[in-house]
Amino acid sequence: MASRFPFIVIGPRALSVRPAAVLLASTMIAIFAVATGCIREDDLTLEQRAHQLYSQLMCPVCDAQTIDGSNAPIAQSMRLKVRELLDDGKTNSEIKEYFVLRSPEGEAILAAPEGGGFNLLAWIVPFFITFGGIGIALLTIRNLRRSNARSAEFAAAGSGSATDQNDLAKYLAQVDRDLGISPIPAAGKAGPGTPSPDEKADS
Amino acid sequence: MADLGVMALLLGMALSTYSVVGSVVGVKTGMPALVVSARRALYMTMVTAFVASGALIAAFVQNEFTIKYVAEHSNSVMDRAFVWVAFYSGNEGSLLYIVLALSIMSALAIWFAPRRMERSMPWTIAVLAVVQLFYFFVLIFFASPFELLDVIPEEGRGINPLLTHPGMFSHPPMLMGGLIAITIPFAFASGALISGNYGDDWVDVARVSAILAWGVLGAGMLIGAWWAYTILGWGGYWGWDPIENVALMPWLVLTAFIHSIMVQKRRGMFRMWNVALLNIAFVLAQLGMFINRGGPVVSVHSFASSALGIIFLSFMLLSLLFAFGLFLWRMPQLKSDRAMESFMSREAAFLVNNFLFLAVMGVTLWGVVFPLFSDLARDVSVSVSAPYFDRANGPILLGIVLMMGVGPLLPWRKSSARSLRRWFAWPLVIAVIVVVVLVALGVKRPIAILSFGVVAFVAASIMEEWWRGTVARHRSGDKWARAWWRLVNGNRPRHGGYIVHLSILMLGLGIIGTNFYQQRTDGALALGESLVIDNYRIEYVDSDSSSRPDRIAQWAEMSIYRIDPADYATEISLARAQGSDSFRLKDSTRRPNDRLIDQIQPWHGFYPDFNMASVRSGIRSTIVEDLYVIPRDFLSDGRISIAVSINPLAWWLWASGPFFILGTMVALWPQPAVERRPVRTEKQIRALATGDL
Repeated sequence: MASRFPFIVIGPRALSVRPAAVLLASTMIAIFAVATGCIREDDLTLEQRAHQLYSQLMCPVCDAQTIDGSNAPIAQSMRLKVRELLDDGKTNSEIKEYFVLRSPEGEAILAAPEGGGFNLLAWIVPFFITFGGIGIALLTIRNLRRSNARSAEFAAAGSGSATDQNDLAKYLAQVDRDLGISPIPAAGKAGPGTPSPDEKADS
Repeated sequence: MADLGVMALLLGMALSTYSVVGSVVGVKTGMPALVVSARRALYMTMVTAFVASGALIAAFVQNEFTIKYVAEHSNSVMDRAFVWVAFYSGNEGSLLYIVLALSIMSALAIWFAPRRMERSMPWTIAVLAVVQLFYFFVLIFFASPFELLDVIPEEGRGINPLLTHPGMFSHPPMLMGGLIAITIPFAFASGALISGNYGDDWVDVARVSAILAWGVLGAGMLIGAWWAYTILGWGGYWGWDPIENVALMPWLVLTAFIHSIMVQKRRGMFRMWNVALLNIAFVLAQLGMFINRGGPVVSVHSFASSALGIIFLSFMLLSLLFAFGLFLWRMPQLKSDRAMESFMSREAAFLVNNFLFLAVMGVTLWGVVFPLFSDLARDVSVSVSAPYFDRANGPILLGIVLMMGVGPLLPWRKSSARSLRRWFAWPLVIAVIVVVVLVALGVKRPIAILSFGVVAFVAASIMEEWWRGTVARHRSGDKWARAWWRLVNGNRPRHGGYIVHLSILMLGLGIIGTNFYQQRTDGALALGESLVIDNYRIEYVDSDSSSRPDRIAQWAEMSIYRIDPADYATEISLARAQGSDSFRLKDSTRRPNDRLIDQIQPWHGFYPDFNMASVRSGIRSTIVEDLYVIPRDFLSDGRISIAVSINPLAWWLWASGPFFILGTMVALWPQPAVERRPVRTEKQIRALATGDL
């Protein structure tokens, strides 16, 4: 996905909000899509499916452990039961349903919430968090770019909010610089003192 | 010893109270002497914390079972080296350890803080002292490690057997220390905000202390993962357990912070954002303390029966109010100096990376609290465990790794099309080659292949930059190694960062390999029998046992052979027909192409006092894959029940550790002498100026 992007750039300005946003969003969607649809039950041996199920069922007597990792007797017998049901030709979801219906823990026997209704929230919210986060980041960048000119003026005029303390800080920084104490010159004022590999030749 | 300890704690509480009050009153009424004495009081709390900790350790060494904590966490036959572990192995002792760590770190931070911080220091000290005060308060009134028993037991209960592992000497102290260390950068930022010192003076100290906290926390988690892998005997290393999550969340936010603080340092931007990140990290650290001590979610790590939940919850809510109240109060003063110029700039990439880190944090937090919501909303309990987090966080983590390759290649401010092509072409070509080769080799699992491509892209981007920089320096006359070293030395924060990035890639390799390609099986073997899986034959050769006062230990001697599947064609097809990937052989006669490659000794111990089993898995580790044998149980009929897994690329998980630490140290190492050369005292300069030298 990402592989195309240096080549579609025509100029630095050409890549405005939309292509960048579309690019990131489509990358994430592609990853999500493949992630959810990649492993099919038929491709796996019964034993592989058994281990898959072990890590999807909680051990009822342990604290926050699946039966996969537990040595408790009940976990052992649950593992045997899973294997038995698989040998009977049951599907993964049938087996999970079996445990949900029969164990006193109910749905809590599953290591991750499943099904529709309220449980869907568990899976939808991450999408909102992720894409909301990326959206906010991109919007912020855009807003910061818009306010570019204005804030440059403010900075030049020594902005209204500058209090005595701020002036003092600036003055002290100036003194530091004059004395040669400051390791890094105030960013951007005169650019870095020594040519560093940080500043690429092209920038 | 108990009296001494209690007195030290009381004195510590009094001193930290004095330090808070003294700082605030001193600075408000303009009494410098009071401020200075408040600062000294904070140094003295370190002494009291040392005395209290020393008292507890001395009580352990002398087996003073009159003290409840000592009786419950040690015994007289215990190896004395474990006294250090016993010290923090319970709720009360670990709180004392936290006070000790915080007071040492606070003292160091105040001592090393640069002069120009002077104006905000009283407030920084007040914040530090408040946090210390809270822990002293809890130690004295709710969780005293010096509580005495009415009936003195003959012998102590002993140390929790799961904790008798080399990793335990460092994992818990590093995690607790790392979590509490977040207080230091938080206190610097808050101090600067309260005092109205809005400049970027606090940035350097906050960056250094945040990287320290982050490095310690990160290394601590890695050691914990290693401990889980080698001792807990479930074959995994990270379980997305609530306690693991609450340690991970502040670490993620700190990771975002140490990236975006560079933007503030270099470009004077993101001021509000950086303060907000530190606030979130600090509040999350307090959330971690709360969940770890009587929180509402179950975990394998929590301190059992701790009734401190409500106290820690209150403190967490208070810190939330304080941090964000302060933030909102001072927000108008935290404007950026400069605006963003382009989407294709490093600052933009850092902002996106920041939000991805926060997204992982948010999703993880959502997963931790979702069971509570479910309980409240529809009165149905659900579990949210590894399968959820793997799926929900995996894609975002991959996105972060991708940004790790993109961000550093973008220059500050903006980039030209030419520079993009110049810097991205090679990494992309290499990533594509890796993907094509993997597909051609018949490797399965599209996501994993995509992930390997991303890892290759990032690795290539780092190598490309090192290569170009080194070549340039080599041309100007340096030898290769020296040229590279000078490149790294020239900008340590950047190149230290690259070394850390490489370690994350190694970690990534291990995570992809073990998550997507792990093979597992289990079975029971009698002496002389073998289990065959993939290209391995595991033969149960011998067993032995020993009985000690505290435990019954059994271990098995197993030989590992590399086999040629052709020798076992009939058995393999039989097993396949039954849906198995492995099979048991009654007769372990060597077949023509069997080659002995290793011997392992899986070990199983039972501790009657704790009714607890502890195992050491037998691991044959190579850089390609680990063969991992968990002894589940020694059965009464002489057989051993084992779980076997093949964990591809697991070696890389642990190989990443040294690079992580090395990179962090390089990034933190004080700036090279070249930049410090002009440092002269004012006096010298005057002397130079007046020519009176």
